[in-house]
Amino acid sequence: MSAFNHAFRATALPGEAESFRAEVKAFLAEHAPVRPPHVRARSWSGFDAEFSRALGDRGWLGLTLPVDYGGGGKDAFARFVLVEELLAAGAPVAAHWIGDRQSAPLLLHYGTDEQRAFFLPRICSGELFFCIGMSEPNSGSDLASVRTRATHDGDEWVLNGSKIWTTYAHKAHYMIALVRTSGTSDDRHKGLSQFLIDLHAPGVTIRPIVDLCGDAHFSEVFFQDVRLPASALVGAEGDGWKQVNAELAFERSGPERIYSSIVLLDLWTRYLATRVKAGSAEIALLGRCIARMAALREMSIAITGRLTEGESPVIEAALIKDLGTTLEQDIPLEIAALIGEPDQPVNDELMRTLAYVMQVSPAYSLRGGTREILRGMISRGLGLR
Amino acid sequence: MSEETDMFLDSFQRLLGDVCTPAAVRAVHQGADSAPIWDAIAASGFVDAMLAEDNGGVALAGADLAPLLVEAGRHLVPVAFGHTAVARMLIASAGHALPVEGPILLWPTSAQGGLRSQVAPAAFEAGHALVQHGASFRLLPLLTESPVDGFGFPSADVDMDASSLLDYVMDDCCLLEWAAGLTALASAGAIDRVVEMSVQYVTERQQFGRPLGNFQAIQHLAAQAVEQSVLAGTAARIIFSGGATTVDALRVGVAKALTGIAAGEVTRIAHALHGAIGISEEHDLQLYTRQLKRWQLSYGAQDYWSARIGTARLADAEGSSVDFIRDRLAARVG
Repeated sequence: MSAFNHAFRATALPGEAESFRAEVKAFLAEHAPVRPPHVRARSWSGFDAEFSRALGDRGWLGLTLPVDYGGGGKDAFARFVLVEELLAAGAPVAAHWIGDRQSAPLLLHYGTDEQRAFFLPRICSGELFFCIGMSEPNSGSDLASVRTRATHDGDEWVLNGSKIWTTYAHKAHYMIALVRTSGTSDDRHKGLSQFLIDLHAPGVTIRPIVDLCGDAHFSEVFFQDVRLPASALVGAEGDGWKQVNAELAFERSGPERIYSSIVLLDLWTRYLATRVKAGSAEIALLGRCIARMAALREMSIAITGRLTEGESPVIEAALIKDLGTTLEQDIPLEIAALIGEPDQPVNDELMRTLAYVMQVSPAYSLRGGTREILRGMISRGLGLR
Repeated sequence: MSEETDMFLDSFQRLLGDVCTPAAVRAVHQGADSAPIWDAIAASGFVDAMLAEDNGGVALAGADLAPLLVEAGRHLVPVAFGHTAVARMLIASAGHALPVEGPILLWPTSAQGGLRSQVAPAAFEAGHALVQHGASFRLLPLLTESPVDGFGFPSADVDMDASSLLDYVMDDCCLLEWAAGLTALASAGAIDRVVEMSVQYVTERQQFGRPLGNFQAIQHLAAQAVEQSVLAGTAARIIFSGGATTVDALRVGVAKALTGIAAGEVTRIAHALHGAIGISEEHDLQLYTRQLKRWQLSYGAQDYWSARIGTARLADAEGSSVDFIRDRLAARVG
């Protein structure tokens, strides 16, 4: 087989991870807020600070972080199981999502002893929520063109500029932002650095942005002469681009790139089961969705296995994300195509859930790197760029 | 994969590289004798690899044979390597000695007695078929005439009136699942090779003064093709990832459905990338396209297998999709 096919080695979830699953299911049965499917369909966009803190109390935020920092000390397979069960249940995970998935691993890897000692236990307890400042009004997919700038002022930094499409900035305590510390946008990947920004600091203004369903899950954040202490710098000055890219394999290969439409799929499945006889097109569609999901899950577990070995398979992760978000987008498209029979009444809850997923799913292939950017990365892996 | 399997695969690859070149495959498609390819494969012993050691094999499990079956697909091996390996294993596990030397086709039949496939397996070199009707198994000769089908392949048929060389009863064994699984594994290999050929082509072919692969539209098509190839390869692996010694309809279903879908996508993209030359008889791509299209229709196309998965899922509709996949389709620690 060719190199890409080789990269996805057969990998089974280890026994410990599977036994952990029973604990997760029991916890969810007790603690997951009871909400109707069209609300659970928010998936990892659903925000519930209380639920996140319950997870923190249970020791499951920062599951893979060292126990010394308040983490769970478990491996990436256990985290795969936890996230898989949370998403399958449609649990509201957004409050802790970014801190748990990205900020904590980033600080563990690049942070100073002081940063780790202060932030990691607070992320693990659910006390502090994080967001990531990447896009700017004139820097979307072209992230290296960011213009928000931090300049030296004595021992401190002064920050000016703005970030946009920042998930839950208006409910987070801290942002880790990628900003320019030297040169100009023409210098591209050089001269970028990452900073920890206290979102309650003077000079920070946050304006939530409402989406097409009426939800406000992202925001625009303005920085006007925001003073940052020297200790706000994450990692090395000028290494921001490298640091950001090191985490992409985590962000793009997880179950959240497969399961965003699972609440809808499962609700539709139960609806089909109540029908006297489901049509052959419906049964085939259901089976096709399960088949694609099963294969993508195998791929995601294979990459999880490589992450546990300390590798960073960024291109393979891009490949999973493109295929996975396509499945997530096909589920509402294809269910809608079959459900639209004018003489076959469908219950209100299924219609609300379908309506929600139909409207937001076009964005599934944007968040975390657009489909077109990912395909560019894959073709670079093929030697075409 | 164990070291032993790696060794087997390496040696099998070298064998196929020698005897099953695109030129050799093309010649067989055009009517040349396929015996040299079969003889070389038979002499290598791989066709008996699934047999128990007492029977001259090495008791290779399905999961370990799978990479060889994928490799056979990459080389478009025209003779029935996988079918024969499985037929010999099934006959031996039923306690019978093998009465014939040449390739044996797997021949699942419906209640009405017809082959459970819209296209029959190619007859190249095969003289017999293991015919399943319910729990009854018979080893029968093929008819000597093999009409050329719409894909240009000699279509095998069984002489149902001949006397059986073997006649036995075995429960819990389904030739449809075996044959569909083998087809999926071969398809995954052929798809992988088609993607490789296409990437190579756009790297070399120049238009507008630069390699085709420099164009973003071309790059994105190539990326989609490689995605489908990886998905097909993963799906094919699911057939044996449950650790069971026999085949399971749902696991085969995932593999056959997704390789069928991927075959359609990848051949479409491969021809887009190759341009007109790809559809010509003289280019090797046609060898792959014809075979992949034919395999898509063999032993149930994607909607048949998707429906079998969908039916099983509906029988257990209260649980989540994740639980269903974990219980029925996930890889297990071997």
